[in-house]
Amino acid sequence: MASQEYTNTAGAGQSELTDETDHSFRVDGISKSFRHVQALSDVSLAVDHGEVIGLVGENGAGKSTLLNILTGVLQADEGQLFVDGEAINFTSPREAADYGVSLVHQEQDIIKTMRGYENLYLGREIEQFGVLAKEQMREEAQAFVDELGININMDERVRNYTFNERQMLEIAKAFHISQKSENPVILLDEPTAALEESGRKILFDLVDDLRDKATFVFVSHELDEVLQISDRIYVLKDGERVADIATVNATTDALQKAMVGRKTADEYYRVPDQKRDTELGETTLTVDSAAHGEAVGPISFSVREGEIFGIVGVEGSGKQQLGRLLAGDIGITKGSVSVGGTTLHSPTVSEMVDSGVGYIPKDRKSEGLLLYQSVFVNTSLAMVRDMNGSIPLLDRDAERKATANAIEELSIKTPGPEALVHGLSGGNQQKVVIARWLAHETPILVMDNVTRGIDVGAKEEVYRLCRELTGQGVSIVFIGDELPEVIGMSNRIAVMANGEFVGEPIDASPEKKPTEEDLIQEMI
Amino acid sequence: MSTNSVSEWILEQQEQRTLYDWIQDLGPFVMLFGLILAFSFTTDRFLTEANLIDNVAKNAVTLLLVALAGTFPILQQSIDLSVESMVLLTGVVSVVLISEFGLGLLAIPLAIGVGMLAGLFNGIIFTKLKVPSFLVTLGTLSVMAGVGKIITGGSTITFRNPAIRTISNGEVFGIPNLVLWGLLIYVGTIVLAFRTKFGRYCFALGENERVVELAGAKVDRYKIYPFVLSGLLCGTAGVLLTLRISSASPNIGSGLMLPSIAAIVMGGTALTGGVGGPHRTILGVLVIAVLNNGMNLLGIDSFVQEIILGLVVVGAVALSIDREKIDVVK
Repeated sequence: MASQEYTNTAGAGQSELTDETDHSFRVDGISKSFRHVQALSDVSLAVDHGEVIGLVGENGAGKSTLLNILTGVLQADEGQLFVDGEAINFTSPREAADYGVSLVHQEQDIIKTMRGYENLYLGREIEQFGVLAKEQMREEAQAFVDELGININMDERVRNYTFNERQMLEIAKAFHISQKSENPVILLDEPTAALEESGRKILFDLVDDLRDKATFVFVSHELDEVLQISDRIYVLKDGERVADIATVNATTDALQKAMVGRKTADEYYRVPDQKRDTELGETTLTVDSAAHGEAVGPISFSVREGEIFGIVGVEGSGKQQLGRLLAGDIGITKGSVSVGGTTLHSPTVSEMVDSGVGYIPKDRKSEGLLLYQSVFVNTSLAMVRDMNGSIPLLDRDAERKATANAIEELSIKTPGPEALVHGLSGGNQQKVVIARWLAHETPILVMDNVTRGIDVGAKEEVYRLCRELTGQGVSIVFIGDELPEVIGMSNRIAVMANGEFVGEPIDASPEKKPTEEDLIQEMI
Repeated sequence: MSTNSVSEWILEQQEQRTLYDWIQDLGPFVMLFGLILAFSFTTDRFLTEANLIDNVAKNAVTLLLVALAGTFPILQQSIDLSVESMVLLTGVVSVVLISEFGLGLLAIPLAIGVGMLAGLFNGIIFTKLKVPSFLVTLGTLSVMAGVGKIITGGSTITFRNPAIRTISNGEVFGIPNLVLWGLLIYVGTIVLAFRTKFGRYCFALGENERVVELAGAKVDRYKIYPFVLSGLLCGTAGVLLTLRISSASPNIGSGLMLPSIAAIVMGGTALTGGVGGPHRTILGVLVIAVLNNGMNLLGIDSFVQEIILGLVVVGAVALSIDREKIDVVK
């Protein structure tokens, strides 16, 4: 089996799951199937008290099913959980919490209009004579987080918290829920998905500080983060545990191989396919001292046919705003943009699309997709705008053809063009967003974190697609939080800080790729 | 097992129809059939040609047009509550144009144009001033009813012009023109909803406006159109109604709003937008028309009829709310 190949024993007793006292948390031979689909088969994990465990795998590898079983949301068909040696299978999240196991959700599960302490005690309020003991809850809540070393004001309304503070509150809540247990186990489900660089650091520091108070299971797509934070990493693939690697022995490449089961390494970003300077065409997009109020700009740059222009920067550097400005979504207050020779001074989204710029937003669920409409409707959403024939009817044959092409060329895994986008995996959903602009034959794409929250396999396909598109003369403005990705994909990279470019864009030709350090230096 | 098998499994689950889906899909059919059966046995007159055509079908046309008018704003997740006042206003205007100004046929497009202007006004206030459509149209419901009633001077106004009346009152091969107009417009709205960009954007806007905007659509414009269409259809309903009876009373159209919304929802267009369409609105219309007619034939007190209608509305909404989507909309 492939599992042997990647398995390294991290310490004594890892492979033999017989010791009943050492492990704070252990899962033995869990299997779960949904009708004929085997979501998990014979998965075993063992987590020592104080360990931080990474759990990685592609979408559909079984991570969510496993988390749901560990927290009692789903029940396993076979297998057994052990908490401090006691055999128990949870039947509800509440029971799991009683044993100290709790989950911090991917999407924040907090009521923003309430105060920190009210959220902490939500559903478990302290009452005196039927009246909420607010003062007591407030004081105890503050003492609780102070004790953990989490620096948040529990009397503040949560909507005034920063994103990070909310996440800390979530972690505090997880501790609070499982405080009956001496050895809480906290499952973090993709906690960094919505965070930018600085937020991740704060989160990692917190996990590090809390190491001796709890056990963490860290689920993520981002392999470098898992490598950074965890002591040991489990890899799931197709419902099976294919690797158990001590982090010291692990590399991104090895993990990727284990997850995807095929070679990745250097070809990952398809750098050899990157167009050389001499192969690039005419300038298609020129930004001329464009600014949006004080927040962005003035910024000037230009992009040529077939070029990928990378943009990086820390949170608040204005890179996301610049993307919106290019999309026409936020106004240009000074300066202008020129697309294919036409100069626009304060374009609307519609005008930018007319001139050939398509925008792929960072958050595909709230801004990219009609989740409860079909792949067909989503794919043709941009192309229908140009259907203004003599009879004002939609050209459904053209739409069908474009959708079929997209499904074929982007290998979108869907039961059919009429299937709802909601049911597709993240990677396939993102392909639908890209397909929309391809169907519209858009020559310039502005992508904001186009691979965010999609699995390794889907990322590779997006990279392949970007290369193919540039091969056909499409230009891409590639905004990203992931430095390796931006470096790997781009011809040139601009670093943003305080709404402006820091110096001239950096050359990122195949032989002269800058390092992450080069960029980080400029970013801060 | 492929890497996507779990999401495929989820898809399969979605495709598996629940009892709820069946109730939503077949409910109106079952209800319509049940009512027809019930009234056929309990009354002698229900199943006669005269009753079905003169009472059920002709009366259903006005409700059908108004319900079709209301369908499009609801599809795009707004609502037009002013429909019945637009029927009143356009009906009154058409009578005045024929009787006072002697405009003859020209009165028809002019009156319908008044309806479209009223709809345009609703749409512009809604999109440009960003007032919720619920409130805008609740306001204009009152405003337009007031204007219409002032024009009548408080009593029924009439006109004499038999030629124009045939537009509504004549018949072709034994089918009343009124019913033919209703069917023609019904088919037209289905084409609009499913074969035009306007229809596509209605569904899309009903689900997520931001996505449509970022896809390059002129969103404001497409948010105004459904209200103009609503004015056009209500105007048509108002004109056809007044032509039918050669007169307009200060309260024509009144009481149409509630049953029209009930018909839309029963037809499967969710109040949360994005799903449904005008094609099934007709089912809800027929259920209400048959229910009304049957209750009349049975001699049920009109106040009791109001109670029953209200209960049907609440029941229809409760059954037709898309639970999965509510989870997203909240």
